[in-house]
Amino acid sequence: MLYDLRHSDLRIRWLVTLLLATLGTSYLFGAWMVGLYAGFTPSKVGETYGPSGEAPMTMQMPPDSTIVTERPVSMAEMGEEQHHVDKNLLVQDTHVHMPMYAVIAAALAVIVLGLAIPRNVGLALIALLFAAPWLDFAGMWLTKLVSPGFAIVTLAGGWAMGLGYTIVAVIAFWQMWLPRKGDSAS
Amino acid sequence: MKALVFAAAVAAMLHITPTVIMVKRQDAVAQLLPGADQFAARELHLSSGDSKKIHDAVGWEPPDGVVTFYIGKNGDRSVGSLIFMRVDCQHGPIELAIGYEPNGTVRAVEVTKATVEMKPWILEALHAGLTDSYRGMATTASPSGAEKVKPKIAAMPGYMAELIDKGVMHANAAYRLFYR
Repeated sequence: MLYDLRHSDLRIRWLVTLLLATLGTSYLFGAWMVGLYAGFTPSKVGETYGPSGEAPMTMQMPPDSTIVTERPVSMAEMGEEQHHVDKNLLVQDTHVHMPMYAVIAAALAVIVLGLAIPRNVGLALIALLFAAPWLDFAGMWLTKLVSPGFAIVTLAGGWAMGLGYTIVAVIAFWQMWLPRKGDSAS
Repeated sequence: MKALVFAAAVAAMLHITPTVIMVKRQDAVAQLLPGADQFAARELHLSSGDSKKIHDAVGWEPPDGVVTFYIGKNGDRSVGSLIFMRVDCQHGPIELAIGYEPNGTVRAVEVTKATVEMKPWILEALHAGLTDSYRGMATTASPSGAEKVKPKIAAMPGYMAELIDKGVMHANAAYRLFYR
């Protein structure tokens, strides 16, 4: 194994540690942001990314004739913008975030390459790291275009992202800083 | 590794800058519906035909087929209505609040949100008097705020003024075609 984090130079282990710490912090804030703007339940995610912010499974298709509804609102309600991502904003979000997600997945995958783990586990872990953003955005688009029920795919993507990071971080920290006696590069 | 760092730098540069509040929505409501003490949200879920109608008129339709007007009243007296309108560009979204008098003319326009990058450009356009030209305009008229301020401002503020013109044009079309 040419690249083994367990026996790498201290500077490389320090770099990987800081990268993981920084990514972990951004993930925590990412989870906070999801809680603020989208939510962690399929119905909340469906409302955010589904058509027009309605409850799931309603108003999927344009009505035959324009429907007008009127309801009283307070000044405070008008001031609170319901965070709803329409198609144009989702195009922009996908364009902006997918490259960054790819770079993050690649950075974590490079760390995976330096871990002393079986080859097939490494392959599975790299697949998980890249599958997470795909699931995340596929879920958003399917929620938008097909059915709010696909919000579950976005949630799966988010959890997969967190899971992938946690597995990589735990193994990397363990192997870099707590080497066991008799460890050697394989 | 070099490629990775380069890709990260490129991705970071492509990122749209954060949203900034230019005017709080509540302040915009107070400005655009002065004296109103009761409010109602009128939501129009547009049919395919009506979506096409507005698209044919101004080359735009609400992305999710919904237009929301906020109506203000003081007792039984109508104070007017307003609509929040988002305009997207490669620098991020701009949100406008367009207020209407009870007689259907534009009362005023406020820019409520922009991004960090766009804020100084928008402020320059506003300081040049961009929104003054919208006051009292009929919804059938074509907004020409950008044309009036462009000689006094730089290129990017001029571009922002064009985007704001476009947002006002979309709002006016929605009002003209669907507000009843």
